[in-house]
Amino acid sequence: MVNAGAAGDEVMLVGFDFGSTTSSAMAARARIALNCATGRQEFQSPRVVYRSEPVFTPFRAAGDIDICHVERHMERWLAEGGIAPEAVFSGGAIVTGLASEGANAEALAKLVEARLGDAIIATARDPALESWLAFMGSCAGLSRALPTRAILNLDIGGGTTNAALGEAGEVIATGCHFIGARHLRFAPGTYRLAFVSRRARAVLDHLGIAAREGDALAPAEVAAVTGFLVRALEALAEGDAAFFQAEPARLLVDVPLALPGGADPAVTFSGGVGELVYAARAGADLPPVTAFGDLGIDLACAILASPRLCRDLDLVPEHGGRATVCGLTLHATEVSGATLHLADTVPLPLRDLPILACLPPDADPARLGEAVALVARTRAGGCIRIAGGAGLGSAAAVKVLGARIAEALAARPPDGARPLVLLLADNAAKTLGLYATDFGRAPAPLLVIDEVPDRPAQFVRVGKARGGLVPISFYGLN
Amino acid sequence: MGPLTPFSDIDVPAPQPDATYRVRLLHRDFAFTGLKALLGAADHPKAGDRLAGLAARDEVEREAARTALSSLTVQHLFDRPLTDADGRVDDVMRANYQIDAAAFADIAPLTLGALKDLLLKARPAEVRRIGLGLTGVMAAALAKIMDVHELVLVAKKAKRSATARTLVGATGTLSSRLQPNHPTDDLSCVTALVYTGLSMGAGDALIGLNPAVDTLENVSAILAHLDRLRRQTGAPTQICVLAHIKTQLAALAAGAPVEIMFQSLAGTERTLTQEFDVTIALLDEAYAAMAAGGPLGPDCQFMYFETGQGSELTYAKHDGIDMATCEALCYGLARRYDPFMVNNVTGFIGPETHRDNFEMIVSNLQDHFMGKLLGLPMGMAPCYTLHSEITMEGQQVATGLLAAAGANFFMEVYLSTDRMLAYFDTSGHDDQTLREIHGLKPAPDFLAWALARGIFTEEDGEVVRGPNWGDPRLFCANEIEFERLARTVPGAHGFENAGPRPADTVSRAVKANLAIAREAIHADLDPARLGGIAFRRIASRAHDRAAHLSHPDIGADLDAADLAHLRPEHRDVQIVVSDGLSAEAIHANVPDLVPVLLEGLERSGARLGVPVLVPFGRVKVAEPIGDALGARVVVTLIGERPGGDARASRSMSAYLAFRIADEETRARAAAFSGNPAIRYEYSVISNIYDGGLPPVEAAGVIIEKVLQILAHKAAGNRLESLLATRAA
Repeated sequence: MVNAGAAGDEVMLVGFDFGSTTSSAMAARARIALNCATGRQEFQSPRVVYRSEPVFTPFRAAGDIDICHVERHMERWLAEGGIAPEAVFSGGAIVTGLASEGANAEALAKLVEARLGDAIIATARDPALESWLAFMGSCAGLSRALPTRAILNLDIGGGTTNAALGEAGEVIATGCHFIGARHLRFAPGTYRLAFVSRRARAVLDHLGIAAREGDALAPAEVAAVTGFLVRALEALAEGDAAFFQAEPARLLVDVPLALPGGADPAVTFSGGVGELVYAARAGADLPPVTAFGDLGIDLACAILASPRLCRDLDLVPEHGGRATVCGLTLHATEVSGATLHLADTVPLPLRDLPILACLPPDADPARLGEAVALVARTRAGGCIRIAGGAGLGSAAAVKVLGARIAEALAARPPDGARPLVLLLADNAAKTLGLYATDFGRAPAPLLVIDEVPDRPAQFVRVGKARGGLVPISFYGLN
Repeated sequence: MGPLTPFSDIDVPAPQPDATYRVRLLHRDFAFTGLKALLGAADHPKAGDRLAGLAARDEVEREAARTALSSLTVQHLFDRPLTDADGRVDDVMRANYQIDAAAFADIAPLTLGALKDLLLKARPAEVRRIGLGLTGVMAAALAKIMDVHELVLVAKKAKRSATARTLVGATGTLSSRLQPNHPTDDLSCVTALVYTGLSMGAGDALIGLNPAVDTLENVSAILAHLDRLRRQTGAPTQICVLAHIKTQLAALAAGAPVEIMFQSLAGTERTLTQEFDVTIALLDEAYAAMAAGGPLGPDCQFMYFETGQGSELTYAKHDGIDMATCEALCYGLARRYDPFMVNNVTGFIGPETHRDNFEMIVSNLQDHFMGKLLGLPMGMAPCYTLHSEITMEGQQVATGLLAAAGANFFMEVYLSTDRMLAYFDTSGHDDQTLREIHGLKPAPDFLAWALARGIFTEEDGEVVRGPNWGDPRLFCANEIEFERLARTVPGAHGFENAGPRPADTVSRAVKANLAIAREAIHADLDPARLGGIAFRRIASRAHDRAAHLSHPDIGADLDAADLAHLRPEHRDVQIVVSDGLSAEAIHANVPDLVPVLLEGLERSGARLGVPVLVPFGRVKVAEPIGDALGARVVVTLIGERPGGDARASRSMSAYLAFRIADEETRARAAAFSGNPAIRYEYSVISNIYDGGLPPVEAAGVIIEKVLQILAHKAAGNRLESLLATRAA
């Protein structure tokens, strides 16, 4: 493909992924413009301008993350990618899998925020977001190219398998399970156990394998373990919830995946193990077993032996092992519409805004009032989502909703330190804002932002305005 | 490519007083004063010439003019160069006298009728030789006394080829210019359209894009992108971005791959310089720059011109010369630069120049004939807009005749709908269909490339469509890339084909969109569908749709009687609603928009006049209303000219006209604009419809902008400049 260099003003997007096994960074440039085919603002012609080499995520002996070491990696990535923090328009950092279970995972997230400023979101322990990102990073294009085909992407890393089911480029279900390559760690090149996670111990016990750290697993025992893990992956693909209700599989569930009834999705893979699967499928020689000191290569081989999991390997997703960081870089941020209501008194960006309610456009005044009242109890403001549809398509509907918001704001005026952010799916922000402030006669710390897709999230970040629009990032996906 | 003849070396006879040409046909006597009048009356009836008062009143008068014209000698026309409004020979006319003196000497004594007979009898080589001895006026005169068969036959004999990187226009070939336009120059969409066109065997003449933004940065970026596409696909063709010639010169100087230098031409110097901002000296400079530093080298042809009947007329700078003759004068100028391509886009402007299929078809045949005869490698783009009566079928008839006449190339606009310019041109499907009907092939180098890629194949010695014809996936790494590109293409109704044509499902979608869009223009403005808003109705000078569409200027004036009743009200804001070119846009948007606008402006403290409804109005109708009512700002809501998208046919614009009422403000506006006579400044909010800026939201945007205009006493770029300064 010819790389579509953008002709106009470009922005920089970044992503940082700290996973169970490896960590990596990515930077891209894109132009924000109206897609004349869809009528929506979007990032156009994104060009990946920097991909770091994956590095092993540094852990300390205590099992938590070596933050000083991570900081050095970050500095190198910023230098290699020519990433000036002040030039970053949006992006994200996520601590995933086993790394997110470290005691200082949140501290790492805060470190990234502090280093890169207000332009990005940084989050740890957000498994549904991780699944969503992996799907978007690997399968968004494939899914749009095959819009009638449901695709289940299994992002298999060191600690977790993040599953996401999508159709026509949209994620419709997510799950997260502790199925990964590094629950058992070995002396590289051998099956001598160096580490057994709590969940792996339960699996070994279930399989009648008594081996401990320092013992070597027999080939049959390795096959039994990978067989169990493959069966778990097959259960995900088949929507077999019963499998995960029994021991020890119950212990593998972090966020259950609920497939729609009758779903028979095509299965794709991403993450480190996924990359091995497609490499082997393409005829590449895999490294010797446990070359990485874990079960990844054996798990990839076992997947290749599963008819159900192999059925759709002709569908090759993009970005392989970098799906999550690619999703963070290119998909984690939405661009608002270009006509917004932004109160002059509310400085941007706004971060960590809890989504207090999701209401229909015709929400009754009492419910609306209750939601607005919650803003006063927030640390730095709150957000209300107004669901999409044709609800705000008429002048009457906008006027009624605007009047109700004005009433609610008058009853419990938010203070300037706790602004109210309304997120609309429809394109009506400017006019709704005018009605909600009685055409400027009742000014309020109110932001109305439109053309934002519905996301089942708990938090949102509103970035700085640029060219009349703002970047929006969701996290804490439900 | 040799050096240009110094312009001062071109000899032109001194102008002469107008002669009177008299003819008697049966019992009627006719007199035509001056060549301009004679040439105008001799042409087929066309809207533009009628508008200019040049067309014959009836068929007999027209034939009388032709009779007079055919009796004149070539020398007679040579001796009487047409002059501009000041009685001088302008530079365009002077360029037309750069002719082959020997060829001219041979035919100078002949009457035009005899010359026509000679051309009909002569071998192709002789026709081509004679053509180089003619001026544009002589070619135009010949065109006016020829019928359709004659225009086709002589043009075919005058076939001209040209060579840039590749040869285009050889006998037995039909090429195309691929035009991957996009409203915002989205390069992914450009890629999708280039891949699609190439897969249909199109683009062998040129891949040429009309930029949405004519800046050095943007034009250079697009050129670099087209260059990458050309190299990646390996297609043997050339690239061009059809920016203003000054922008292209800057891009060339900056090292951008300006392989072909483009410029639109006009047949009068006043139009060329005042409207197109181009002089002969600038064209000469561009030619010299390309000869010295063009990426294809000095040995190829590298200039590309576009023309089309009626541009001089629409700017009211035709100097009393009819449309066809102005067009021929463009060709006489183009010939000076031995161009690689000349593309004719007659039909592009609208019904004020060409009302219906007949007018468009005849003009295209004339243009092709005149250009070829004068020695140009003519390509043709018979095209139309929806506010004319020209149809796709009429366009197809034109292309059939032009293909028979040996047109070098047609356009490839995917599914015929230009995504930026809101007009309708030929498509790659049309080009291939015509190749198959007329037994024509792509340009030789391109054909070899396309054969190697399965776009074409050979069966029994015949070149036929291959397995990859019409499949843009051919150039994509995978289905994902194709989908990613395809989703950026507006108006992509499908990529399926049936032989050389779009599949019926695709054609039905295209035609349904066209039908709905055209209906929007011809629908009547119905006050009952305007949401019960109380309007006062004022008439424009266009009293019916026919006058409205064919005389764009009269919709900007008020009916004299209605104007007389208006008295100054001195309100802050006056809302005006007019159907413009889409009554359906008004029906679809005004009921939701205007009530919000009225409420918002009133609650914001603005004093409003009672809204005005002006059927058959144009944008500038704001000014007589603003003048008469004394409004500070006139908000004109008007239907936009529909393109090829059914939903977008409901698209309306809001023109916010700030009336400059005091001398201090006028001085500031004059200083900013450079126009000392400035009276109004405009801000525009466009694309108002449910697929663009929804009407309810548009109301909020308009309210905000009107309040800014009132607060800053400025609109348009001056207002934005003030706001930017304030924000900084």
